[in-house]
Amino acid sequence: MAAGSNNRSRLLLVILLVTSLFLITLDLRGVSLTKGSRSATQSILAPIQRGFSDFFSPVGNFFGDIKNFGKTKAEVKELKAENAKLKTQLVLNADIQGQLTKLKGVLNLAGRGGFKVVAARVIGRGSASTFSQTITIDAGASDGVAKDMTVMSDLGLVGVVKSVSSSSAIVLLMSDPTFRIGVRIAGSQSIGVLQGQGSGTYNLQLLDTSGSIKNKDVILSLGSDNNRPFVPGIPIGFVSSVDHKNASLTQTATVTGYSDLNGLGVVSIILQAPSGDPKDSLVPKPTPTATIYVTSTAKPDTSTVVSSKPTVLPSPATKKATK
Amino acid sequence: MSWSRAGISALFLLFVFVIQEAAISKISLPISGFSLYLAVLLGAMALEDRSGAIVLGFIGGLILDFSPTADSPVGKWAFVLTAIGYVFSTNRESIGDFTARPIAFVFFTAIGSVLTLIIFLMIGLLLGENSGSFSHNLVVVIGNGIWTLIFAPILLPLLVKWRALTLTSRERQ
Repeated sequence: MAAGSNNRSRLLLVILLVTSLFLITLDLRGVSLTKGSRSATQSILAPIQRGFSDFFSPVGNFFGDIKNFGKTKAEVKELKAENAKLKTQLVLNADIQGQLTKLKGVLNLAGRGGFKVVAARVIGRGSASTFSQTITIDAGASDGVAKDMTVMSDLGLVGVVKSVSSSSAIVLLMSDPTFRIGVRIAGSQSIGVLQGQGSGTYNLQLLDTSGSIKNKDVILSLGSDNNRPFVPGIPIGFVSSVDHKNASLTQTATVTGYSDLNGLGVVSIILQAPSGDPKDSLVPKPTPTATIYVTSTAKPDTSTVVSSKPTVLPSPATKKATK
Repeated sequence: MSWSRAGISALFLLFVFVIQEAAISKISLPISGFSLYLAVLLGAMALEDRSGAIVLGFIGGLILDFSPTADSPVGKWAFVLTAIGYVFSTNRESIGDFTARPIAFVFFTAIGSVLTLIIFLMIGLLLGENSGSFSHNLVVVIGNGIWTLIFAPILLPLLVKWRALTLTSRERQ
């Protein structure tokens, strides 16, 4: 009896494994068996995600904020029960205010580049069980969003639209290891390829053998044919370290992205780019930094002479400064 | 596993999948995210007999394959979880009844979660997929294992109760 049961389960195992392999083969051969199904799943999930998003948005970063819990612990204790409802409302308002600020920033950057955009709220993140880094947004085909459109935040590039349903879309984040984009360095105009590494930093490889990369160089998108999937001139990040390897023909560097992909609330999808390349016009403006030099003299009667010499230094960390 | 219970299990997994995609993935946990779906599926597989675990693995894998955020070819999760179902059921037979050994059940599920993700990555490598840096994947795999270990003691007793409710009178005997 047991042997018969074992044989049956082995047969079942073989049948199901072969079915899986058959599905994998069909998918890898480009049979569009799955595209419709995934799009249908997305259409079903989007309204539910939108509902959960309103609830989870204030508590989503709870674990990230837990380190600040001690500071507010005393205040929290003082809160009375009748204020709880009011407090929740306040948190929700603060969340909405944050989203509005981000939206303003996004539209400001899009306006500077002359892009026609549609703004969208982030309603979901890629599942932990899939290794791809994606977000789900609440704008879809009905808003004019299509596959392979550039997505940006108030600080720069976020990713590219991977798939679209009628009311939502999935965006492949630029931190995804499969993400690659042609870039150029603002100023020197050297071109290269930037690749996601699964975190907030990216790997940049120059294509030009004579080109050189310096720390703090600003990286912009190079653009694609017909602006799909990437429009030119979108700020991506700045060079945080340069790899000095004599063996390689071209230089490589590590780039730190401007956009905080973990804290995205509102993004915009570029529906139409201007006919001309915005060049370096979207490079983040450096924040003026005042440096004061203090010079002491040897004269006994004048103990110290203070001369202030304000100097404007370009700060590459504009991302943090403008946040 | 009867056909009716396979259907009920599929609907239940679909429900857990919706919760995972819509709610759990919105919470940014330290280290890496927690896959409620994988924990529930592996827990359910560990309670089944050999055929049941294989069928449940295949159904659960297909649901994951149709996830809109999935970037892998359809059938990959089904393949991995069917194989895991077989491995689970053969090991389960040597361990015995998990309902009487809760700690072993929790560890078995957490280790299963880590193993599933590792096999998923290895098959991705065989298929020529770019899964990112080793360190990043290591964090994802270990993070998932740790969170499964933390949440499994809460989830698994509920899962055992749910399964008891869905058993047919013939399966109870």
